[in-house]
Amino acid sequence: MHDSTTTQPVVSPDAMRGEIYFVRLNRSEKVQHLIFMLCFVILVISGFMLKIPAVMVQKLGAFGGTVFFYRSMLHRVAGTVMILTSLYHLFYLAFRPGGHRWLMDMLPRFKDVKDLIHNLLFFVNIKKRPPAFDRFSYMHKLEYGALVAGTTLMSLTGLLLWSEWRWSKFVLDIATLVHGMEAVLACLAIMVWHMYEIHLKPHKSPLDKVWITGRIDEEEMQKEYPLHYKKIMADKKLQAIYMVRENR
Amino acid sequence: MAHHHNQGSHARPSRRLIPIIAVLFWSGVVIVSVSGLVHAQDEVRVDTQNCLLCHRYPGMGRFDEAGVKRIFYVNDLKFANSVHGKLRCTNCHVGLDRIPHTDIKKVDCTTKCHLKEPSTEREFSHLNMANKYEASVHGSNQPGKAKPFPEDLPTCKYCHQNQIRGPVGGWWGTSEAMANETLSRCIGCHTKDQWAQNFYLHFTHRMRRIRSPEEIVDLCTSCHEDREKMSRHGLDTIDTFKDTFHWNLVKFKVKNAPDCISCHVPVGYTTHDIRPKSDVNSSINHYNRVNTCSNQGGVQACHPKATAEFASGRVHAYGTKARLAIGGRVDALKDIDETLLMERAQQEISEQEKLRFKVLSYIRLFYKILIPLVIGFMLCHQGLDLLNHLRKRH
Repeated sequence: MHDSTTTQPVVSPDAMRGEIYFVRLNRSEKVQHLIFMLCFVILVISGFMLKIPAVMVQKLGAFGGTVFFYRSMLHRVAGTVMILTSLYHLFYLAFRPGGHRWLMDMLPRFKDVKDLIHNLLFFVNIKKRPPAFDRFSYMHKLEYGALVAGTTLMSLTGLLLWSEWRWSKFVLDIATLVHGMEAVLACLAIMVWHMYEIHLKPHKSPLDKVWITGRIDEEEMQKEYPLHYKKIMADKKLQAIYMVRENR
Repeated sequence: MAHHHNQGSHARPSRRLIPIIAVLFWSGVVIVSVSGLVHAQDEVRVDTQNCLLCHRYPGMGRFDEAGVKRIFYVNDLKFANSVHGKLRCTNCHVGLDRIPHTDIKKVDCTTKCHLKEPSTEREFSHLNMANKYEASVHGSNQPGKAKPFPEDLPTCKYCHQNQIRGPVGGWWGTSEAMANETLSRCIGCHTKDQWAQNFYLHFTHRMRRIRSPEEIVDLCTSCHEDREKMSRHGLDTIDTFKDTFHWNLVKFKVKNAPDCISCHVPVGYTTHDIRPKSDVNSSINHYNRVNTCSNQGGVQACHPKATAEFASGRVHAYGTKARLAIGGRVDALKDIDETLLMERAQQEISEQEKLRFKVLSYIRLFYKILIPLVIGFMLCHQGLDLLNHLRKRH
């Protein structure tokens, strides 16, 4: 049994037999995340290289041409892989049971607005307890929404720039502006929000390994996602999907 | 006694050798000097007026009336290897008949050089280029009117600095082997080595770009980034070029990067005849744009699939004139007279361009608001979370 209002986790009887873990990312989602993350890092580095001031680029000397060539190629290759991964993700959402569950759980609800206000009040000690989050909190949903919007914009504008000869200069000017500005926004959002929220929070520091293992332990599950924990414990079908036992 | 005898027999051979060594040494000196002279005569035009009597000394010069140090040293070997190497001093510096010179006139690049130009059999002169130049955007005389502020305009020497010809390093400096093979065939019939080399260099000099794209941009921007100078002529400054993707290629020293010359003087045009956009003969005129962007027939084939729509746009980013045309302020013009700029902006920036500039400005403004809002919210949220965690820990 569990009690989401207490701070002390209640260890379930199953823990007597083995350790229980809860799946946050299944194998497909882990792979999608890994590929997307690698592409993102390559795109950010290769993209922002264009913004390096001339005085620093001069230090490359005659090697600059070679650097530019590989930078351009890497950017396009990583962009293509990211677009393909995104298209697979859409297919996953539409045609895979895991994807369907992800989509349903990720849809924004009025509860998310209430949770945001509740959480901010909790931060400033007005509320004594944090809100009870389901599988995905408002933080996940905001970030996922930003990801969808950002990736769509970057992909579209990137493809426009890649096929420049087809379009008018005005269209290319808009594409260049949006591509650059959206890149700044995405990069800052990842650094400020995602890195802290998912990986660098004090109790997760130095690095949360959920993106590698795909799972969290029962204690963390009860603390962070109590509503989802309740639902899983009350439904054997959900237990089959989200619970993993490791015997001692 | 044996010891003394031995010392004497060792000294004798070295004493005999000294005169022989001395003769050999001084013979060598004479041979080298004579061959050096002969070699020098081969490479350097004979100084029949003996100008080098004074002008061969590196420190030779004077302070002029304005107190500026003027050096008149001429390195004859370097000069011989320059594009003007075959000329005598007085071919350009005309009318010098007194030493020290008190009757110095500025060199007129349109002077006849007394060298026969082989295609017309006439005395060669830069006059035809100078005439084209005068009629171009950089010239002081436009048809029917003289340009204001002629002191701003570049003279011949601003761009042309009597370039030293590169060594025989091949076409585009990439194939020394090809240069050697070609030359050896020339020298088969044209047996005078120096003549054949000079001719080869004269020809191949035009086959290579002396300045790198970055140097071209530096040269052009030396005037075209001067806001005060450009405002006097109603022109935007060229920092808008550095907002383009073209500049990125120049910055990274990519081979055949698009510099100013690539668009303003593509294949078939000359740098001495750059025309304004409104002139139908200009490479950036609306009618010629597709050819300019695709740049077919040259080493740079930039956008071979360029459509008319692609080529019709503004390459340089919207600059000062666009901002003035929509009634905006330009802080950089604070102490500069913007009357002519405003006038030209009203004439040149069409309604369509004004609308497009506004659209881009609004998109930029949107992001300038969105990014601080979103990131600000994120920072606050995470900051409060961290503080809360630290508070609970204690």
